[in-house]
Amino acid sequence: MSLQDKLAAAFKGNSKNASVENYKKEAFEAFSQKGFPTTKDEEWKYTSLRSVLKKEYGIESAKATNITQESITPFLVAGLDSYKLVFVDGVFQASLSDSIEEVSVKLLSEAIEDASYQDLFENKYNSLAKGFTSLTDLNTAFTNEGVVIQVAKSKVVSKPIELIYLASGETSAMLLQPRNLITVAENAEVKFIERHQSVANVATFNNVVTEVFVAQNGIFDLYKIQNDKDDASLVDATFVAQERDTVASVYTFTFGGNITRNNLSFYQNGPGCDSILNGVTILEGSQLVDNHTLVAHKSPDCQSNETYKGIYGGKSTGVFNGKVIVDQAAQRINAYQQNDSVLISDEATINSKPQLEIFADDVKCSHGCTIGQLDKSALFYMQQRGIPVKEAEALLMFAFCSDAIKEVKVPALKIKINQLMADKLGVNIQFDEIAE
Amino acid sequence: MLKIENLHAKVEDNDILKGLNIEVKAGEVHAIMGPNGAGKSTLASVVAGNENYEVTEGNIFLEGENIEDLSPDERAHKGVFLSFQYPVEIPGVTVTNFIKTAINAKRKANGLEDMPAAEMLKKIKEKSALLEIKKDFLSRSLNEGFSGGEKKRNEIFQMAMLEPKLAILDETDSGLDIDALRIVANGVNKLKSKDNAVIVITHYQRLLDYIIPDFVHVLADGKIIKSGGKELALELEEKGYDWLVK
Amino acid sequence: MSKYTEDDLREELKTQEYEYGFYTYLDAETFPKGLNEDVIRAISLKKEEPEWMTEWRLDAFRKWEAMEEPEWANVRYEKPNFQDISYYSAPKQADPNKSLDDVDPELLEMYKKLGISVDEQKKLQNVAVDIVVDSVSVATTFKKTLNEKGIIFCPISEAIKEHPELVKKYMGSVVPKTDNFYAALNSAVFTDGSFCYIPKGVTCPMELSTYFRINEGGTGQFERTLVIADEGSFVSYLEGCTAPSRDENQLHAAVVELVAMDDAEIKYSTVQNWFPGDKNGKGGVYNFVTKRAVCETNAKVSWTQVETGSAVTWKYPSCILKGDNSTGEFYSIAVTNNYQQADTGTKMIHLGKNTKSTIISKGISAGHSHNSYRGLVKVNAKAENARNFSQCDSLLMGDLCGAHTFPYIEVKNKSAQIEHEATTSKIGEDQLFYCNQRGIDTEKAIALIVNGFSKDVLNKLPMEFAVEAQKLLEISLEGSVG
Repeated sequence: MSLQDKLAAAFKGNSKNASVENYKKEAFEAFSQKGFPTTKDEEWKYTSLRSVLKKEYGIESAKATNITQESITPFLVAGLDSYKLVFVDGVFQASLSDSIEEVSVKLLSEAIEDASYQDLFENKYNSLAKGFTSLTDLNTAFTNEGVVIQVAKSKVVSKPIELIYLASGETSAMLLQPRNLITVAENAEVKFIERHQSVANVATFNNVVTEVFVAQNGIFDLYKIQNDKDDASLVDATFVAQERDTVASVYTFTFGGNITRNNLSFYQNGPGCDSILNGVTILEGSQLVDNHTLVAHKSPDCQSNETYKGIYGGKSTGVFNGKVIVDQAAQRINAYQQNDSVLISDEATINSKPQLEIFADDVKCSHGCTIGQLDKSALFYMQQRGIPVKEAEALLMFAFCSDAIKEVKVPALKIKINQLMADKLGVNIQFDEIAE
Repeated sequence: MLKIENLHAKVEDNDILKGLNIEVKAGEVHAIMGPNGAGKSTLASVVAGNENYEVTEGNIFLEGENIEDLSPDERAHKGVFLSFQYPVEIPGVTVTNFIKTAINAKRKANGLEDMPAAEMLKKIKEKSALLEIKKDFLSRSLNEGFSGGEKKRNEIFQMAMLEPKLAILDETDSGLDIDALRIVANGVNKLKSKDNAVIVITHYQRLLDYIIPDFVHVLADGKIIKSGGKELALELEEKGYDWLVK
Repeated sequence: MSKYTEDDLREELKTQEYEYGFYTYLDAETFPKGLNEDVIRAISLKKEEPEWMTEWRLDAFRKWEAMEEPEWANVRYEKPNFQDISYYSAPKQADPNKSLDDVDPELLEMYKKLGISVDEQKKLQNVAVDIVVDSVSVATTFKKTLNEKGIIFCPISEAIKEHPELVKKYMGSVVPKTDNFYAALNSAVFTDGSFCYIPKGVTCPMELSTYFRINEGGTGQFERTLVIADEGSFVSYLEGCTAPSRDENQLHAAVVELVAMDDAEIKYSTVQNWFPGDKNGKGGVYNFVTKRAVCETNAKVSWTQVETGSAVTWKYPSCILKGDNSTGEFYSIAVTNNYQQADTGTKMIHLGKNTKSTIISKGISAGHSHNSYRGLVKVNAKAENARNFSQCDSLLMGDLCGAHTFPYIEVKNKSAQIEHEATTSKIGEDQLFYCNQRGIDTEKAIALIVNGFSKDVLNKLPMEFAVEAQKLLEISLEGSVG
């Protein structure tokens, strides 16, 4: 039975919340019609999910688990002081998680039954995700867990909130579909870290949807660290809706996983918004990463700044599709986009498609895209000074990526990223000391 | 030459000029000095007819004619030249092509034929020598990648080419080193005659060592608050503006 | 270009209307509307074509019938009704081999209006011209001079009869019959166009030019151009296009194939000024064109285009860089005003080693128009040391138009070096004020700024056409500001 048929048979669509039930039914209908995306879809031209969809996935969340604090420690960021919210196989683990006083945290499964959340479900939930791709609809139809986090007006959250979604690998291959909803009220400030990680070596397919709403003057940062095992694939859709004078940043660091598709969409709904999208991808083997970004400039006097860097080895494939749309109402926009890639093996591939769609005239938009190699004379220079070629290459690669990393505001995280990069590049260097 | 009566002007919703009066006769050099934000550049823009500034009251007469309803190019054709504080870059348009277009537009407005190529060439040679401008400079894109000094020199070069009746130099000295300042001032002095007039807008006395003004005016909060001879500039250099502004 | 001043230009512009919008009353033979195998046989018969050509057309037609009109381009238009078009129209007196004295005086008058010299005495221009009105080639000049060098420059209908071996070998070799919907349609119904062959080692002594004109209403134009530059040869080729102003949308679906053999160079320039429709977007030509070149070892093909006309343009002149060390270039200015839509760009396919491509695209949008750049740079796994530089700039005038950029970059070789830059900006108020202050009025200031913006591409055109192109840019943008 194909995964689509299996899903069709398993679909229940009933929910304790009428709005949610409605969304589920609608979404399932839409998914059933469209099915999984294929490379015939312009938006999936370079990314085939065939190999991922072929596997036999369990689609129900597991109930019991043996995951302990010790077994997850290797996957945590050392020295990072954060609020951790841990899920295993789609089930929240209170014993592994921190309690948070500063913000309102509710599990999706509980929020659905709570009347005080009704407004949120009617007006915000699914308002950005609806119909985005058939996979977002699939998430809407099947999701049963995730977090609903609300940051109150003028609250500056003291430490990052870390969402850790683990796959135990105790059952067979798993399809996990968590769903998050985050609202940042006026003048509030919050940072998030998001991880999806398999603990054992079984195939995992994560289909994740996160909707974020940032109200006037709010500041929102999200750091995605994607360093999963070779058999884990991820399709993520993150939506950020910004009201006036907000700053929203999303960083995507991808070093692991099998197929990773990041859909990242920003909607600037009020004037004075600033959107920052940065990414670093380092791949090897037969990994594929597809960063699909959208910045919808819908209001005047806003800016966006996008920098994606990629290093591709082995038989890996990098895809970058960056779309910037400037509506007619969005005058005086400054939109900048840069996508640079280095191929370090004969069999790696990069497909890049930066797109500008401009409907306003008073704008300054630019995109740049380069594909090249490491500077040979710089390599020679370093070798002449006694630096082995591998380290020299790693240094150059780190320098190449530094534009997309330097703004990371959580020090422990920055160290972790540097360390992950060094691991990935097979060297033992403390990069940031040298780079800064 | 230029007579301004009770001029009020605003940009967006900020009143900048609040009843300014000044009269400049042919053959005279006037310096306008004043603290930041006094309205000096606004005055220059308003006389040149920049539509971002709205004249709410008062009159500007050029040789007795009220120029209120004239567009910037029409004013230019009548002999108004503004040396921009921040000259604008126009990619792909060479200095030569630009000045040729400007000269012929003015000639056409005054019922003249285009300037013959030979004459144009001769004039360009002559005037670029005056400003010590090298030949290759003339085939570069207008102001694109020019240094601050090159931009200002290019402005005075254009002034020399267009031979205006009234030249307004808006902070032409800013960003110039002493050598460039001398070249620019020398250019302006050579162009001075009994039939034209120059208004020098500046922050500092320095430029006025080279371009000697007949009158010095202090502009503060949208009005001329004090006028005097060239010695006033020295006094301002020494004491600042505070003693006047109070 | 420097000799041509802005004022010369202004003088020549007396009207904001489409200058070539006249209709010349020619006694024409026009097929009834509709398309089926009989019509195709009739076209082939009319052209006195050999059997193989008829079969080739029919094969293309059958394949076309199974194809669907593409929808991926960023253009919106009412699909043409392919049964409501006449696929053959010819001025009755046309015969390129007759002397000029025999030519319909109305036809000569039309050439004059188009500014084309068919008079061989006017050698000053040093341009050999083939003229295609509606479906047939009506005059080819300078034949003798070219023959002496062994250069073949004639209507394609003639080449099919006179040089079947070349046509058979190369037609469809660069753009296969089934390449796309419009190429298939063209393969079935093409009626004329130019054929050009430059022998080994020959540098063509003059510009070769084809002037295309749609004259009759209710017709489409489906021309086919084939240029073959044999080893070590050089040719510079130019095409110009105009059509009368009509309320209806006319279809133009052309195919251009260029073959640049080892060490050959082809420079192909287009000044496209089909009727763009009126101010309200009524009428205008649908310009759906497939243009492609194959470059063998050390060969170079350079496409230069100035696109100011047509209601809808769908066109991607491409280079297949098959041979080692081959070079492809694309220089384009596309101007859209009023309700025009253009989706244009290029494809550079790097297959050989050390191949190089350069893309410079300048889009100018005004009025309610939409202007899209769509380009593909593809580097195959075996294309060592491929180099590409792309620069796509858009200039917006007014806030009702759109400028879009869709570059696709696909690289499978690590030694590739690709650089792509794109910018979008508008004509700054500060730039206009600066020009105004120097006595240059707004309209002239815009012309100056637009010409500066387009200079990199205008410089690539042959001198004679740079002037025409500059003029077209101005006409196209007149009345777009203020």
